[in-house]
Amino acid sequence: MLCRNILRKGCTSFRLYHPNPIEHVKSHHIKPLTYGKESPQYKVLSLALEQYVPKHGFSERSIVESLNELGYPSSMISSISASNSPSFFHSSTAVMELIKFQLVDKRYRLTEAINPDVTPQYKLPSLEHLLLRRLEMDKPIGGCLSELMSQLAIPSGFLFETAIPELHRLSDDMIYFSNEKDHHDSAWYAKRLAVSSTYIGSKLFMAQDKSHNYKDTFDFAKHKLNRVMRLGEYYNNTEEFAWYTLMSTVNLVKSQLVRG
Amino acid sequence: MLLRALISKPVSRGFSVLSSLKVTEHASVKHAEKSGHAPKCENLSEAQTAFLDRVIRVDQAGELGADYIYAGQYFVLAHRYPHLKPVLKHMWDQEVHHHSTFDNLQLKRRVRPSLLTPFWKVGAFAMGAGTAFISPEAAMACTEAVETVIGGHYNGQLRNLANQFDLERTDGTKGPSEEIRSLTSTIKQFRDDELEHLDTAIKHDSYMAVPYTVITEGIKMICRVAIWSAERV
Repeated sequence: MLCRNILRKGCTSFRLYHPNPIEHVKSHHIKPLTYGKESPQYKVLSLALEQYVPKHGFSERSIVESLNELGYPSSMISSISASNSPSFFHSSTAVMELIKFQLVDKRYRLTEAINPDVTPQYKLPSLEHLLLRRLEMDKPIGGCLSELMSQLAIPSGFLFETAIPELHRLSDDMIYFSNEKDHHDSAWYAKRLAVSSTYIGSKLFMAQDKSHNYKDTFDFAKHKLNRVMRLGEYYNNTEEFAWYTLMSTVNLVKSQLVRG
Repeated sequence: MLLRALISKPVSRGFSVLSSLKVTEHASVKHAEKSGHAPKCENLSEAQTAFLDRVIRVDQAGELGADYIYAGQYFVLAHRYPHLKPVLKHMWDQEVHHHSTFDNLQLKRRVRPSLLTPFWKVGAFAMGAGTAFISPEAAMACTEAVETVIGGHYNGQLRNLANQFDLERTDGTKGPSEEIRSLTSTIKQFRDDELEHLDTAIKHDSYMAVPYTVITEGIKMICRVAIWSAERV
């Protein structure tokens, strides 16, 4: 029952039809969050993320300090966590919400200024640029990345409902808003998986990185993306060659048959 | 030879290809014009996005299948029965146009393609080529069965698009958005094209196929199962 529920929720959150933004009223919510930029939750969580998470990590303390600074009573923390189900491993649901918020908000901010409907293809940023910019956004919380990654990777409802769908939404966004070629078949999935794995790999690297200004992480990310794309190229070239060979064989057989 | 090809060409060919191009272009131009300061529509609900997601995915997979079925038929029949060549080419060209239209929509509206795409490609080509190997009439029976199911399926989608997308606008009026209207007109046009293929298949003796009931009913069932799974997977 629980499994089915998680699966259903996971599947619906993978849904990707995007109606054109020009014709519709701007949504109040930053989906999948249940609140928008004007709401008190947004203000509390973004303040917590900017000022207190680098100090105290992803903990209730960061949220409480942010609540206090904005003049709310500390008990408001219970309303922030309302949309999350209780966690398996007793991490606070408010902290879960903070983690979810940082994933969703950073994803939106990454592509806010880009509009592929108006901008010509060649003026769009490259995939590498977007990937590096997303990694750069996590520089201030670099110290608590390993804590964050372990929270996200714990097998629970949160992993299937938020962590994985958010990761794939991020790679989908990075491909859609960049000048990367998109596809109509299994390459659509392969490319997204490759970008997701590159991102996660770089993030894990970043969690352990001690170099100045995370220079090694950026080098690693560039190199890894490059390698993954080259792998795609190898596959494409092999497929093209196989297809060419098949077609020329068929044509050869046909011509021999015509000759009799 | 050239004269024969010209004569055997269906009269409606040029007209129908042009008209299908015209409808989509017309819709997209109107769409761009309206994007300025027109009243905005309410946001689509979860159920509506879910429906559109399925529509784009299944139609893309379906048109891909149709494209490959005709490729299979053309591959086998074009040289053996030259009189069928222009007929098949005409239908195939239309399917290629349908396929590319839905490919563009899939990328623009960011819908994921069907996971079973490689399987649809192989299966559709095998179905087209397999029936064509039996006889040209069997190939036509295959076309007839496929187009019957697709026509019905498009009609179901049109019914839903007409019933369920009465969106409220900021100026108090109600009605579907330009995006939905354009999708509806595209699907309408494509349904008409598919039904024209059905007529063509019947005109070219699909009823003379030897195990007629077995071929048509079998293929209809395969198509229904394919539609069901392409919507979901």
